[in-house]
Amino acid sequence: MAPDFREPLNIIVTGVGGQGNVLASKLLATAAVEAGCRVAVGETFGVSQRGGSVMSHVRISRSKAYGPLIPLGAAHLVAGLEPLETLRVLGSYAGVDTQVIMNDRPNYPLACLSGAAAYPDVAEMVKAAAGLSARTTVIPASELAARAGSLLAANTVLVGALAGSGLLPLCREHFLAALDTLFQGSIKELNTRAFLLGLEWRQEEGRQ
Amino acid sequence: MTVMAQAGKKVALTGNEAIARGAMEAGVSYVASYPGSPTAEIPGVLALAAAACGHYVEWSVNEKVAMEGAAAASFAGLRSLVVMKADGLNVALDFAGALALSGCRGGLVVLVGDDPAAHSSIREEDTRTICKAVHLPVLEPSSVAEARDMTREAFSLSEFLALPVVVRCVTRVCHASGDVTLGAIPPVERRPVFGREDRVITFSARLHALLEQKMARAAEHFAASLFNAYSGPGQSDTLIIASGPAVFYAREARELLEQEDRVGILKLGTTWPLPASLLLAHLRGVKRVIFAEEVEPFIEDGVMALAAAEGLLHLSFYGKRSGHVAGSFGPGAGELDVDILKEALAGALGLPYSRPVVAAVAQSLGQEMPVREFALCAGCPHRASFWAVKAALELDGRGGVVIGDIGCYTLGMAGTGYHLLQTVHSMGSGVGIAGGLSQLRRFGFDRPVICVLGDSTFYHAALPALVNARFHRSNFLCILLDNETTAMTGHQPHPGRLTTAMGEAGDTVLPEELIRGMGLPCSVADPYDVEKTAVLVCDEMRLPGPRVLLLRRACALVAVKGREKDTVSVDPEKCLGDACGCARFCSRVFGCPANIWDETAGRARIDEAVCSGCGVCAALCPRQAIVVKRREGVGT
Amino acid sequence: MTGQESLRQKILDRGLCTACGMCVNLCPYLGAYRDRVAALHPCGLADGACWHVCPRSGLDPKQMDLSVFGRLREDHALGCFSAIYFSRAVSKAPGAQYGGTATALAALALEAGLVPAVAVTGGDALAPKPVLAVTREEVLAGAGSKFTAVPTLAAVNRGQKQGLTGLGLVGRPCQVAAARKMAETTVPGYESTVPPVALYLGLFCFFAFAPEFYGFLSCEAKAEWVVRSDIPPEELVVVTAAGEQRWPLAELKPLVRPGCHHCFDSTAEWADLSVGSTEYDPDWNTLVVRTVLGEKLLALALERGVLEIRPYPPERLPLLRRAALGKKQRVLAGDRELSGLALDFEYEAAVLRQQGGASGDGNGTGR
Repeated sequence: MAPDFREPLNIIVTGVGGQGNVLASKLLATAAVEAGCRVAVGETFGVSQRGGSVMSHVRISRSKAYGPLIPLGAAHLVAGLEPLETLRVLGSYAGVDTQVIMNDRPNYPLACLSGAAAYPDVAEMVKAAAGLSARTTVIPASELAARAGSLLAANTVLVGALAGSGLLPLCREHFLAALDTLFQGSIKELNTRAFLLGLEWRQEEGRQ
Repeated sequence: MTVMAQAGKKVALTGNEAIARGAMEAGVSYVASYPGSPTAEIPGVLALAAAACGHYVEWSVNEKVAMEGAAAASFAGLRSLVVMKADGLNVALDFAGALALSGCRGGLVVLVGDDPAAHSSIREEDTRTICKAVHLPVLEPSSVAEARDMTREAFSLSEFLALPVVVRCVTRVCHASGDVTLGAIPPVERRPVFGREDRVITFSARLHALLEQKMARAAEHFAASLFNAYSGPGQSDTLIIASGPAVFYAREARELLEQEDRVGILKLGTTWPLPASLLLAHLRGVKRVIFAEEVEPFIEDGVMALAAAEGLLHLSFYGKRSGHVAGSFGPGAGELDVDILKEALAGALGLPYSRPVVAAVAQSLGQEMPVREFALCAGCPHRASFWAVKAALELDGRGGVVIGDIGCYTLGMAGTGYHLLQTVHSMGSGVGIAGGLSQLRRFGFDRPVICVLGDSTFYHAALPALVNARFHRSNFLCILLDNETTAMTGHQPHPGRLTTAMGEAGDTVLPEELIRGMGLPCSVADPYDVEKTAVLVCDEMRLPGPRVLLLRRACALVAVKGREKDTVSVDPEKCLGDACGCARFCSRVFGCPANIWDETAGRARIDEAVCSGCGVCAALCPRQAIVVKRREGVGT
Repeated sequence: MTGQESLRQKILDRGLCTACGMCVNLCPYLGAYRDRVAALHPCGLADGACWHVCPRSGLDPKQMDLSVFGRLREDHALGCFSAIYFSRAVSKAPGAQYGGTATALAALALEAGLVPAVAVTGGDALAPKPVLAVTREEVLAGAGSKFTAVPTLAAVNRGQKQGLTGLGLVGRPCQVAAARKMAETTVPGYESTVPPVALYLGLFCFFAFAPEFYGFLSCEAKAEWVVRSDIPPEELVVVTAAGEQRWPLAELKPLVRPGCHHCFDSTAEWADLSVGSTEYDPDWNTLVVRTVLGEKLLALALERGVLEIRPYPPERLPLLRRAALGKKQRVLAGDRELSGLALDFEYEAAVLRQQGGASGDGNGTGR
């Protein structure tokens, strides 16, 4: 774990409505509180649940309360459930030291399916993300989620990857406690598997 | 459930959970609501806790009925909470105005969610302006923790003033999460008392005078309220007056510009009536005042009027009126954030400031970033309904018009609903508009008129318009998109369901029974059978009178919950790809998010991550290339 | 442009559609309601089967003769045929008009296994609809004349979707032409190895009414009505419970589908067998035998005692020929472009030269 954390640490989780953004940010917030931190999460849901771009701002502080919105260019970590949305967020919130963890599975907007717009090549998007950030890591989150038991668990895989990045002032135990608080039964098992797969994947990646 | 954790524990809660907890910590007995974003989750949380705490929760048919029920509990001395979104307060306003006049007994808190930037709303109404009109005091939390605090205290305040108290929460509080140290939940002990001698009457101009006295008392009380707080240097020439989450944006902006020694921030948690004496005390020492509030210049106008009345003519004001506090939509529209306030503060102080450069993503990508329009969910029955209506309009050929309403299906105005809807206003308004349009026949308007509305909206506000249409022999087809829930706000039950908010059995009020009871013809069909539905719409459009076509199919999100889905796949042998005359109908035109195009294979594909298994696309595929494998035991 | 947009601009928007139904159900972009075919959404394709199969998008009678009969016609009034009779069903289906020949032949083809299903126009006269009949009962239920246009061929395409090919068709001349065009189409994705229709039972048709016709009837007849129409003679006869009422055809002209005024074919010239009224004896049909398959089916019908026939009265033939020719000559005199016909000068001259009473090759004695 890196010795010096940002204060506050600004994380943005992004994706498409229905991918589980809200749950990912909730997991982060719960783990942060488990670790004794102050936390502020800003998000929108409602109509955005219906296939729109979604974004959760998560701000973790060890000293004081912050507002729920991260200033422009001030994200330290961007976790993307979808490549296009990751890039969109970077456009507004990437700063000099932003680190990115992004899923590589596209979710095509209607405009791309209808032919009104072209969905960018994923490799090109990764390249662009790398150009806009200090470091970009691509994670096959959907694949790992499928391995954990459900494609829908990509959000928890991504949280696992964040936990494994060494950039959060939180340990694995805080997350496991948060998983315990938020889930029950088979859903808890699924999410724990997904979380650990993400965590281990990121740690493995970090060693390389 | 985290929200029910024991007192003293620090937990992460959403604003809505914190509000629910606050109500429970105040010992609320009666909770009523009609769901609306951003406050829709509050009653759900309270319903789950009802058994443990002993309070009553109902999803009422609309906000007015909810407020009436809550008022009754208050008249009987119980603490009650009524929850709604800003637009809901408008629905309840007729009663709210009367209730302000009569006052109340048990603490009655009106929790209203405002939605600056209209994330999930038709518009970004500022509830404070409404409260000013009907004379109701307003508290305005700035954070999740404060949302709990204010909700809890609002009950005592309401009892102190004998007036309902409005807690105005914006989306950035309701939908935010933060750490909250929980307080104790007292047992619900109050017993209702409402005897023959009790009177709660509104007919009197004298009562208005009494109400003004109550508001004056509130202003006095607010001047000493702990919800208002100053932070900053003892002596400063610049004061930011902030409310709601803008308090935090202002603090961060001040910090980022390193102006902590120069700029004071007065956080206002009681925004109506304005605490005049407190404001004056802070205004007297400063030269310039900056306003940080969402959405309207509400405090701003009040403070400027106050300053003028007190002859404080040396002050300069920076806000929406001056144009300094403005986001991308201009002053007085949209949300605030740290960057907007940084710019405003720098402007007011004459500091150098340049807005952060937004990275040129399109440039580094080498192409435009595709926009992501809202889309009805995979398998949404509304999509099937809309395609059927679209087909029917073309088949009918008389240029029929389609009137919209409020719900998920409002997206019918966008590409995901084939841009069908031509008007969208407020709950149930489509039926009234359709009735009016159809009466224009006498002036030569000869197009068929269709209106679409959802089941929850039907109960909420459509019934009077249907009665009106029947009596006046209007001539339109009302299509009731019955997905058996209040889908948009998170699947709350309504009178068409079997169980209430608390999971108790309800006496179901079926829409078709209501409709037929009004003397209106009502046919029922399954929108997943698109072709049959289109023909039915054509048939119905040709028949006279107001009539209702009920398209019933459960919301796809509910239908698949906890059940194994039917699997849908594309047979790559049968799909002809671009050689087919369908021109990629499923992925390109029908627009279900599960229908995607496999570039490498040159074939249609199903995105199994989102597919709900409805099979509507399979019926529309001209090549039978989309195969539905039904769950075992559910037929073919 | 030879796709949906052309179909919309040149056929549908100009009221020239015959509501044959051949383009309906081929793709998700075209649909039909009652007698109206409409584009539901632009498909965006420049080339489409919908345009190519349309009986009004370009019809070359010579080409059709060659592909159906392998030879050109000598008789410009009635087209190629080998025999003409009066015919009637031995046991007439309830509701069937005149001799019930078409219904009896369709039911026989189905029962004899010649076709797996027959596309017929079912429903009652007020709400007729395309039906893909797979049982004798379903065929019989389709008996009886319908006076409005029904997109019966939509049922053929629906059958295709279900894997049913080589179907029987009981259809109007435009439908027979469209189904023949469909069998020949080379549009990618729609070219068929097995023709969708294998047996063409054509009906005589001089025009179809718009649905307003029924409004007219219910206003004018003001009673429970049964319709018997004798077309082309100059009047419409409506038999009601109260008695018989007659209207001159001229009065009904505004109720005729506009596209029908541009139709060249009144006797289903490319059918295997064409069936019509006799304009003479209400208990019999006119039966024109055109192809070898038609001959075979007739032989089977006679063998099984399904039909009885008698010679076509020679003195009636000029009347029939005059009626058929008259229609063609009126089309040629009108706006030629609207007919969608591809005729060369020679052919046109041949039609105009013919006299109704003059003899063609058909006199009931074979080719």
